[in-house]
Amino acid sequence: MSFWGQVRELVKKDLRTEGRSGEVFLVTIPFGVLALFLIPLALPNDQDLLRSIGGGMFWVVLLLFGMTLTFRHSESGAQRMLIAMLGVDPVARFAARVISSTALLLAFSAILVPTVVVLYQPVAPPGWPQLSLVVLLVCLGLAAIGGLAGEVTAGLQNRTVLAPLLVAPLSVPLLVPAAQAANSLSSEGSILVPALITLFTVLGVIVIGVLTARSLEEASR
Amino acid sequence: MKSRYIFSGLAVAGLAYGFFLAASHPPDQLQLEFVRISHVHVASAWVAFLAFGVTMIAGLAWLATKRFVMDHIAAASAELGVFFTGLALLTGMIWGDAVWGRAWDWGDARMASTALMFFVYIGYLALRRSILDPEIRARRASILGAVAALQVPLVYFSVTLWRTLHPTPSIRPDDVTMPTGQLVAMLTNLAAFTLVYVVFTTWRTRQISTEAILEARDASELAPAGRTIEPPTLGPAT
Repeated sequence: MSFWGQVRELVKKDLRTEGRSGEVFLVTIPFGVLALFLIPLALPNDQDLLRSIGGGMFWVVLLLFGMTLTFRHSESGAQRMLIAMLGVDPVARFAARVISSTALLLAFSAILVPTVVVLYQPVAPPGWPQLSLVVLLVCLGLAAIGGLAGEVTAGLQNRTVLAPLLVAPLSVPLLVPAAQAANSLSSEGSILVPALITLFTVLGVIVIGVLTARSLEEASR
Repeated sequence: MKSRYIFSGLAVAGLAYGFFLAASHPPDQLQLEFVRISHVHVASAWVAFLAFGVTMIAGLAWLATKRFVMDHIAAASAELGVFFTGLALLTGMIWGDAVWGRAWDWGDARMASTALMFFVYIGYLALRRSILDPEIRARRASILGAVAALQVPLVYFSVTLWRTLHPTPSIRPDDVTMPTGQLVAMLTNLAAFTLVYVVFTTWRTRQISTEAILEARDASELAPAGRTIEPPTLGPAT
């Protein structure tokens, strides 16, 4: 089977497994939306304050809850072993993981955006197509960092605690330019520089993931 | 053995002389007496960068050679890097509180990026603690060490990439914007802290290597499960 054929089959397997377990749609996404409900309860009842923090809340919730989505449990140790023994290219497995996580993160974003709009009523920045592109890049980058962290922590007992500790600081080069891009759009500025920083971060993480995929698979056997 | 004591003695003497110079030069016009904190702060930050660079290089060397001493150097260096990053953050906050009037400022890109680097390496050490198998630990840690080290240039250049409160470098190849007394104290402390880092990394590497040898010996001496279970022996028939 060709490289992309392997990727396609693995993405289908990932999404089908997720559909059956419902880990992302029944646990992670509702928990993220719940966080958006809880934050205003801990703040003074000030609509201007909520309006000003709404955009930032979107990015923070996407990052914090999105990262737990990227190293979901739907791929068990036995599945990993079986895939490795079948001779599947480790790079194809990494690529498939990134693509399926990106799809799930985009679905998560699609639910978060209307929730933020309703609860926080932020000022909608002009240039939604550009902002959608930034969201896509952030989801792709987060999926790649999460995929890497998932491989590094595969099989460890404290994985659910350790992986977020690794992902959260490493994903800041995505969070900061993404927030800057949204702010630039609000002030009708250019998003070229923050979008380029995000793009280079994403490309850098993907290159590292591809280069280390084989070593990490050997390490997790 | 003898060189170890010589280096340790030099490190202690260098540190003492560095502190003496830092305490004895005239106060700065703007920062007053608080300028003395910067000698510890800058030297700690420099050693932290050096330590994380060594962690990356030693990790990659492990991947290339599979010599476990490289992994032990990477681990020792990361531990010291975390300590010196913490020291740089702490002294930076004390200095910021005295000079800027606040210990933490979100407008300072260097501060925020250094704190993030600190957490990344805390994660690196936590990962090492979580894995018992030495080879798997070395392989995963070396990859994480290489990824994490990408942050180091970002932290260093953050003062020039973003508009920030943090002072830009006073010592540049083309210019030095610092009185001679301060400059001598700064360079002496940089050398002394580097020596302290080398001494502690050597000690700690040796300690980690000894631990690994003892663990391997214990593992080989442990009887496999079941060996101690023996069939019951019947007594002589009566």
